[in-house]
Amino acid sequence: MTSIARLDRVTYTYPGAPRPALRGVSLAIEPAEVILVLGGSGSGKSTLLRALNGLVPHFHGGTFAGRVTVDEFDTRTARPHDLAHRVGLVFQDPENQAVMTTVEREIAFGLENLGVESRAITRLVEEALISLGLSRLRHAPLAELSGGELQKVALAAVIAVQPHLLLLDEPTSQLDPVSSEELLAAIRRLSEDTGATIVLAEHRVERCLHLATRVLFMEDGVVVVDAPPQEFASWAVTGHRELLPPVARLFARRLNGQAAAHAESGRLPMTVKDARHMLDLVEDRSPQRHAVASEAVPGDVVLETRRLAVGYAKDDALLEDVGLRLRRGELVALMGENGAGKSTLVKHFNGLLAPLRGTVHLLGRDVADLSVAEAARSCALLGQNPNDYFVRESVADEIDYTLAQLELDGRRRNELAGRIVEELDLAGLLERDPRALSGGERTRVALAAVACGDPALVVLDEPTRGMDPTHKLELAATLRRWTADGRCVVVVTHDVEFAARCANRVVVLGDGGVLADGPAAEVLNGSLFFSTQVNRLLRHALPGILHEDEVEWGMSPQ
Amino acid sequence: MSAVVTQATLASEPARATRGRRRGLRGAPVTRGLAHRQPAAAATYVAAVAFAALVVANPVQVAILLAFVVAVLALSGRLRESLPYVRIALAVGLFLAILNPLFSRGGLDVLWEADLGIVTITMTLQGIVYGVTTALRLTAVILAFALFNVALDPDDQLGLLSRFSFRSGLVLSLASRLFPVLSNDAGRIADAQRSRGVELDRGTRRERAAARVPLLSVLLTRSLERAVDVAAAMEARGYGGGRRSRWLHRRPWRAVDTALAGGGAIAAVALLGGLLTDAVAYDFYPLLDDPWTQLLDLWWLALLGALVVPAALTLRWDRR
Repeated sequence: MTSIARLDRVTYTYPGAPRPALRGVSLAIEPAEVILVLGGSGSGKSTLLRALNGLVPHFHGGTFAGRVTVDEFDTRTARPHDLAHRVGLVFQDPENQAVMTTVEREIAFGLENLGVESRAITRLVEEALISLGLSRLRHAPLAELSGGELQKVALAAVIAVQPHLLLLDEPTSQLDPVSSEELLAAIRRLSEDTGATIVLAEHRVERCLHLATRVLFMEDGVVVVDAPPQEFASWAVTGHRELLPPVARLFARRLNGQAAAHAESGRLPMTVKDARHMLDLVEDRSPQRHAVASEAVPGDVVLETRRLAVGYAKDDALLEDVGLRLRRGELVALMGENGAGKSTLVKHFNGLLAPLRGTVHLLGRDVADLSVAEAARSCALLGQNPNDYFVRESVADEIDYTLAQLELDGRRRNELAGRIVEELDLAGLLERDPRALSGGERTRVALAAVACGDPALVVLDEPTRGMDPTHKLELAATLRRWTADGRCVVVVTHDVEFAARCANRVVVLGDGGVLADGPAAEVLNGSLFFSTQVNRLLRHALPGILHEDEVEWGMSPQ
Repeated sequence: MSAVVTQATLASEPARATRGRRRGLRGAPVTRGLAHRQPAAAATYVAAVAFAALVVANPVQVAILLAFVVAVLALSGRLRESLPYVRIALAVGLFLAILNPLFSRGGLDVLWEADLGIVTITMTLQGIVYGVTTALRLTAVILAFALFNVALDPDDQLGLLSRFSFRSGLVLSLASRLFPVLSNDAGRIADAQRSRGVELDRGTRRERAAARVPLLSVLLTRSLERAVDVAAAMEARGYGGGRRSRWLHRRPWRAVDTALAGGGAIAAVALLGGLLTDAVAYDFYPLLDDPWTQLLDLWWLALLGALVVPAALTLRWDRR
């Protein structure tokens, strides 16, 4: 079979970077493959995709060695625009790839660039709109679309060109579970119907491992594993279980030493459907509820909203009649579809936005009577982009800058700085420029910058966006520690597995209000999309079970 | 604690109505006035308006031209969007209108004189009229550029410029996104700093400005990163690779486009005729020319007709 693309000993270093982003990567990509690229932040996934469409090295510059060929084109001589009709790239952030102002013109943009004649553009735009269910939005301004819709438009714009090779860089990182399912279904359809080759870089392995025909795992610019999913699972099961979907981890526990062999022979389930089938086959042992230490009882109220209406115009409230009481010791996951009003709501917690109606009380004081800076002493809010926080040259200076705003004496400042550095494991980064750190490190530093003053309430808006599984586990552990110490933590997230692992309470927003509010085990149990893999598998046998750590394998009753 | 689960169907009527209204915004874009006309036609017409604003010197003609541009912006429903341009124009215009009468010495009709020892200030009628006319001309020129942005949406501007220079199209595309994106970024960065306890809104104006200085470097970095991302996305999607085609399916060439292009061309010819015959000239010093006699000049009537008729046709077309 003739490869559609090939990398031969590719080593690439970005301009000014201390070490290569890709090191001696060799690959052959065959037609109709669906390749899932996994790896931590900064492992080289995005660079690999950019090398396949020529942005590396043509656009980014730097030092390039080796050879990348796509069809008959060598990217050392062919520029990205020469490859645009063969290779389509959907970037991680849909906002930064939109060029035009409306949906249909955005889709037509690539076709116009390739010189496709007008009537053919009309047909191809129409087909792309239909294939992704975007017809009703054809005239919509891109500025009015939700993140999920925008990501679908980005995909439609790329598939309209009908590339042989489709590269997707974490396309679901900003999407709610429903939008993610829709997007991945569209990608699967595309692969099945057109035979397009797809290379998909993702962190949320549970969403897409089952789509893959081949898995690459990258570490420090090197392809460590290049194997079919079963072989990959067999490798991951011995030492990298965080890379497996939760149901695979659940069964790997049961199989212990035999897990690798089972994985290699395709008997380690990757989807809920496979796992359910497997559950029917194992008769000797069954999953049982693992006794977990009881949760601490929530303490005093930290924040209370009363009949709160939020939005950007008095007659156009996004959320109405929101009544929430957040207590010390609670770790609350705030969930809901894209555009439900989650981020808007939390901006009322520290007074960044003023309520349309109703009140917000922070530690008993009406937030309307406080400046945001005053509220920040009790309520730390970390927004979606850590880069917005960095105004100093080093991590140590960032922490010191926040503490200086709090007007504390030197001894107290040193004490708080030392504590946050230890809690977030920043000791090795103190002299580094925060902008030069990896994505996960930047989130930790920004969190330190907002939360170093020991606030009673810490709010994080989508902290796991683009974060690899290892860093997610670390973050979840930190947040749990904070709540155990008596803080209240609110996490706005689309990441159900993360919410299930760390939250003890879940609030779901939708349709202009609070749809559900209660213990995580109750709210996430039984939901179609806002639910974990393990819960979907075991919700009837073990209601309220959310992740594999809550399960142990016992003898089946005879 | 027990879970409180309500169904979506139980959501309040007002909440659902609100969402419905928001979705309703996503229909076909509203096209009024010069907006969404054929790019080449609109560009020709707007270029003629800007040319006229630069060339015409007679104070009454300048005032008429300015009133015309404002009327077109208003009837196109875009006057509010043009307010930033108006503010710049008024600030610069006012500065010129005040400064010129104080320091110009060419006029004969002296209204006021003051001996300050080192310098004597003589305010003349001619100086005041020249200053005000210059301010009005500047405002007209600036609003002509506002009209350009109204007449040509960024997509059309990109399509038009890309036919001549890919690089200019890229720069224009990045620049047209720059201001709204910068404004959003600035708001978000300021919120991020407030959220860590930085007081940006208290103290004297100088203190507030000083508190915001560190934000500028973040803003600059973010806008550069964003520009790089958009440029990468454009190149990855084939931009700059060769001759682009134009998708005309949604925007057929109509009679109003011909009227606009024709009007722009006739206006340009009328202005060139006026320049070649020196008929557009107007003398402010030492005495003001009669501003009313030029209103019956052929070049002016041709210019006015060439600008007003297509604009009227366009607005009428929209109401069909």
